[in-house]
Amino acid sequence: MCTAATALAFFPHREEPLKVGRMSELLMVVAVTLKIAITATLLLCAPALALAYLLARREFFGKSLVETVVALPLVLPPTAVGFLLLRLFSVDGPLGSGALGFDFGLLLSWKGAVLASSVMALPLVVRSARVAFQGVNPRFEGISRSLGVGPLATFFRVSLPLAKRGVFASLILGFARALGEFGATVIVAGNIPGKTRTLALAIFSAEQAGNEQLAGRLMWVALLLGFAGVAGVEWLGRRSVLGGGV
Amino acid sequence: MTERAHAQVEFSLRLPVDEFTLDVKATLEGRVTGIFGRSGSGKSILLEALAGLRPAAEGRVRVGERVFLDTPRVNLPPEARNVGYVAQSPLLFPHLSVRENLAFGARRAKSRGRLTGPASEDALKYLELDALLERRPSTLSGGEQARVALGRALCSGPELLLLDEPFASLELPLRRRLVGMLVSFTKSLEIPVILVSHDPIDLQAACHSVLVMERGKLIAQGSPWAVLMRPAVSALQTEPGFQNLLSVRVAEHSDDTTLVHMGEHGTRLVIPRCEAEIGEAILVSVAARDIVVATERPRGISARNVLSACVAEVEAAADYRLVHLTVAGETRVLAELTQGACSELGLAPGANVHLVMKTHALRYVSRAG
Repeated sequence: MCTAATALAFFPHREEPLKVGRMSELLMVVAVTLKIAITATLLLCAPALALAYLLARREFFGKSLVETVVALPLVLPPTAVGFLLLRLFSVDGPLGSGALGFDFGLLLSWKGAVLASSVMALPLVVRSARVAFQGVNPRFEGISRSLGVGPLATFFRVSLPLAKRGVFASLILGFARALGEFGATVIVAGNIPGKTRTLALAIFSAEQAGNEQLAGRLMWVALLLGFAGVAGVEWLGRRSVLGGGV
Repeated sequence: MTERAHAQVEFSLRLPVDEFTLDVKATLEGRVTGIFGRSGSGKSILLEALAGLRPAAEGRVRVGERVFLDTPRVNLPPEARNVGYVAQSPLLFPHLSVRENLAFGARRAKSRGRLTGPASEDALKYLELDALLERRPSTLSGGEQARVALGRALCSGPELLLLDEPFASLELPLRRRLVGMLVSFTKSLEIPVILVSHDPIDLQAACHSVLVMERGKLIAQGSPWAVLMRPAVSALQTEPGFQNLLSVRVAEHSDDTTLVHMGEHGTRLVIPRCEAEIGEAILVSVAARDIVVATERPRGISARNVLSACVAEVEAAADYRLVHLTVAGETRVLAELTQGACSELGLAPGANVHLVMKTHALRYVSRAG
């Protein structure tokens, strides 16, 4: 079994004055981070909202088990979740090439980072979206059904629009979690510059390598991204596209 | 009311709820059926079960040729039942305009004429919704919201209309007006209607038959008159006692009163002034306990209405007597008297008496459907 931790690569140059190359490396880190976080959010969107809605509205056998499993990534150390994913998808794991006959190609790739951040962000999205769906009066859904609109169409025409503020906020929360994900990502996807080295990993690497200057610059980038993100959400929330809700 | 062909509704339902088990079995006679009972008697649950919103309900529900429920083989989801359901609160979709709310169920209505079709246009006209179409539900008054909720159900092309006190929160005159609108409109659609109401006057004015519920069970079924005058039923009313409902025609307005004519013989009645037009058919109510019965024609009396009547029957209730009377050989009126008064006057079937009613004991209800 290969452990991705062996792929931990450190910055080769220390204490080097800033050059244009450094700038592009910084941009690369930001690009990798956004690509992974955005893909992870899009990936988890459908299953997380479906799960949130089911937990908010339906009673079914094994509901509390599902609730517990979904909440696990919140309470486990992220590295433990990462290790679990690594075992699942490794060559001899139940979802590895040995068992399935083909390879997802997740380990040590950006796809692995996407999976790790999705899994880590899922419980946050499910929990807050569930509260948003619970805030919708179920009688609206009953009226919709009685008007001849089936359950799936009722979800998209009534439940989702009425819960849109809370659902949007939950996805932002998930996106933020994916942006900063470290522990699970580093184990599943490693820390490969230009492929899986996100901001969180880059700051860690720079600090470990003693490159305080780079770590500082990366920290400022993270701060800026965070600020822009929160401000953007606030702005979107005030706009009528998302506003005008209930 | 002229009867036309409409789907017959038949149900037999069982559903355990918190305090009791809903257990009702009925075949509805007449197109508009009222359901009467105290709050918490299971009226709303019955309607929800008919609409398919209580999937745990067991039994059988049939509307015309269509079977909604036949445990354990058939249990149609609400969207497949083609039922218009209007709850006590209007529940308009707050994220949609009035027009979008009305069009919400239009896909189903397609086969029977869309929002642009004749039925829906009539609904818009009857319910006076044209001016509201671009508004948001939150900007509407209670009466407007109730009208839109009703319009939304009608625009979905239902084959059965279930109304759970849709106007209960409105002021009396507005409510009476909306019930009148509803009755006259659904008459043209020929669909069966089930109307839950705790107002005996609404039930008499709108319904062909009435079911009475108590703790999840049916305790009475029949014509509104026959059911509502039962002492056990009138005891359930918020304003106890039977309310007579009289069909009259407006003859003349004066400053503070209106003269109306009742029945074929044009028996004259003076009621408080109402806004109906001369010649219009209206309904007025008078409580059975507000009618004074005299064996001789009273003189020098302030009450403006003194009618000759004939005693048809004297019915004994727990602590009073219900005197069934016929005015001018055609109009049935009930008077509620104490046991003592009844025996002192010696009232017996066939006796000729005089009924005395103050002008203000008579109340305008609505235009007649």
